[in-house]
Amino acid sequence: MTDRITRRGLVKGGTMLAGAAAGFGTIYGPWKHNRAYAQEGKPIKIGLTCDASGMYGASGRDELRGITMCIDEFNANGGVLGRKIEWITADTETNPATASRVAERFITREDCSILIGAIHSGVANAITQVAEKYGTIYLNSNSSAPTEAGENCSRVKFVWDGNGTNFTMSSVKAAVERVGKKWLLLTNDYVWGHETSDATRKLVEEAGGEIIDNLLIPQNTRDFTSYLLNIQQMAPEVVAPAVGGDDGKILRAQVAELGLDKQAAWVQSQQDWPDVWAAPDSIIGIFGTNWYHKLKLPGVDDFVKRWQARADADAIPVPGNVSYCGYMAMRETLRAIERVGTTNNIAIIKELEQLKIPAADRMQDYDAWMNPDTHHLQQTIYLARRNPNPVDDTDLYEIISASKPEDVVDPEEGKLCKLAPYEQIPTVDG
Amino acid sequence: MFTLIPFLINGLTLGLLFALIALGFMLIVGVMEQINLAHGSLFALGAYVAYALLGPPLPLPVGVGEWWAGLPLGLRYVLALVIAPCIVGLLGILIEQGMRRTYGKDPLFGLLLTFGAAMVIEDVIRSVWGTRDYILPTPDAISGGFIALNLIWSTYRFFAAFAAAVFILLTWLLIERTRFGAVIKAGAHDSEMVRALGYDLAKLRIAVFAIGTMLAAAAGVIMAPIWGIRPHMGVDAVIPAFLIIVLGGVGSFWGAVIAGLMVGMVIGLTAAYASEWSLLSMYILLIVVVTFRSRGLFGKKSILEA
Repeated sequence: MTDRITRRGLVKGGTMLAGAAAGFGTIYGPWKHNRAYAQEGKPIKIGLTCDASGMYGASGRDELRGITMCIDEFNANGGVLGRKIEWITADTETNPATASRVAERFITREDCSILIGAIHSGVANAITQVAEKYGTIYLNSNSSAPTEAGENCSRVKFVWDGNGTNFTMSSVKAAVERVGKKWLLLTNDYVWGHETSDATRKLVEEAGGEIIDNLLIPQNTRDFTSYLLNIQQMAPEVVAPAVGGDDGKILRAQVAELGLDKQAAWVQSQQDWPDVWAAPDSIIGIFGTNWYHKLKLPGVDDFVKRWQARADADAIPVPGNVSYCGYMAMRETLRAIERVGTTNNIAIIKELEQLKIPAADRMQDYDAWMNPDTHHLQQTIYLARRNPNPVDDTDLYEIISASKPEDVVDPEEGKLCKLAPYEQIPTVDG
Repeated sequence: MFTLIPFLINGLTLGLLFALIALGFMLIVGVMEQINLAHGSLFALGAYVAYALLGPPLPLPVGVGEWWAGLPLGLRYVLALVIAPCIVGLLGILIEQGMRRTYGKDPLFGLLLTFGAAMVIEDVIRSVWGTRDYILPTPDAISGGFIALNLIWSTYRFFAAFAAAVFILLTWLLIERTRFGAVIKAGAHDSEMVRALGYDLAKLRIAVFAIGTMLAAAAGVIMAPIWGIRPHMGVDAVIPAFLIIVLGGVGSFWGAVIAGLMVGMVIGLTAAYASEWSLLSMYILLIVVVTFRSRGLFGKKSILEA
């Protein structure tokens, strides 16, 4: 018997070897996939993962206006690095599963090198996981769950809104001392609600207050009568709801209708402008925000006019915190690309980690800065209530305090966030 | 623990509201054996039309707009409760014209057609009224709260529950105590015989579909001040409506009403004692019931099972 290497045997063996190598490679790596879209003159493509429906549909539309306004302004000035900016959007439906699919499509089929947008923390977290897999920079412009820059932080993600703890820190201590020690929590039964209520509980107890109960409210609750009956029977001194979107609007309307805000003080986390605008007669208690269109600060009036000039017929007459956060997240990222002179994701990430924004440029009372260890923008936090003396129909807030960023830093965020080393991040050149 | 009575009262009112939401859906499924997935969008459209009538002044010819705006809000509200369902009922007639080709065929055809209609209606709402929310103004007499059992209750909610009870009673009278009701029920069971007796079945079907969509719109008008008005509000209505029909048994009027009351009661009570289970409780109730009675509480075999 002779051992001969035939041509057929060689081809068969080679094919088997190639197949085995491909299979082996699939299982054992390489895991890091690098993507390069950058070509001179080719537009930079950005995926806008904004909700158009679901409980944050109205806020998602407002966020979209801020982001696209920023892109239009850059394009009017020649784009970034001499390249135009293109954007694409799809309704993420306030639904993590939909958001995940949209993010995957934007990255793999539409060649988007940056994703931006989210109000709901579940949606933001779903997009983060997809973005992280491909190394795509993701700007969480408006989701304010403390986990977003805590245990769910990511090297590719930057969080631009204040979080539930920031807002709670600005109000809870004073409310325990001046209003009452007997607190009741109302918690929307998802990540942001739980995290915000946990932060409130901790701060209330540290300040000497007591949490008498925590009522969990499923998402998409439309009738709050049982909860309101419960609240009346428990008679708390302070009610702290962490209820957002459509649920929050309906809750406030039902509380205001019965005048229950006169029986107990309502201390809330951030109220998004589209939610407030939807039911201006139901503004109750005190609440947080990171921006207001009537702040007496440089640039605010001009920003409002520019925003109004391009607003669609369906828009709220003036911009609010959601549109503002979308605009700022986009602006600072595009500026970072200009500064580093490349669309390489690692270079942009490193630049954003060093970000410092003067108060005047940010249209807030105090300078803001990006925490390099959590990727969370530290910024001014305002406390507001219903304006008793409005100067026009849009003047709904009375700003009662402005907290410095360093006074409301979330102490847990840095402990929980573990950013992956740069070497583990797939490179993307958009 | 808390006093149970307020939560039982709350569950009862909530149940009546759920029964109202399911009423139009039940009528079309029960009498025509067609699943109208546009029910939620027609519910939303009713609320939007009412807002157009009660909200900011309409772009009507000179004099008419001022005359309408000058009417007391209470009168305009009552008129809106009549006009909005009539306008939506006309749309219902159009949808029924499209559905004719699906009669006697796989129920999936009708289901797909009404699903498409639902999407079109929601997009029309978005393009006419935009994506923002609206609040439906209500007359002072049925706004605000009143005190009973040392608790503050919503006046409007009790008005809505009363209106729901009236609509349920009127629908029952129409189906069970009129010649029209007898003929449409007969048509559902033996259409050939009804035709042989000289009745125009096509017109009867138009009438049933129109009444079903008018009930959906009326429910939208009544629920709007409680839920608020937004383009996707129909989804909040169509899911419990479908659940109530299955729970009560397809084709059973009182099954739907009792199922609505059961759903209201179970949501009201779980929200009081185990709040995180409040919305889930209605699905658990459905699972429990269909486990033992696969056609629902009062269901009979229908052609939808074919």
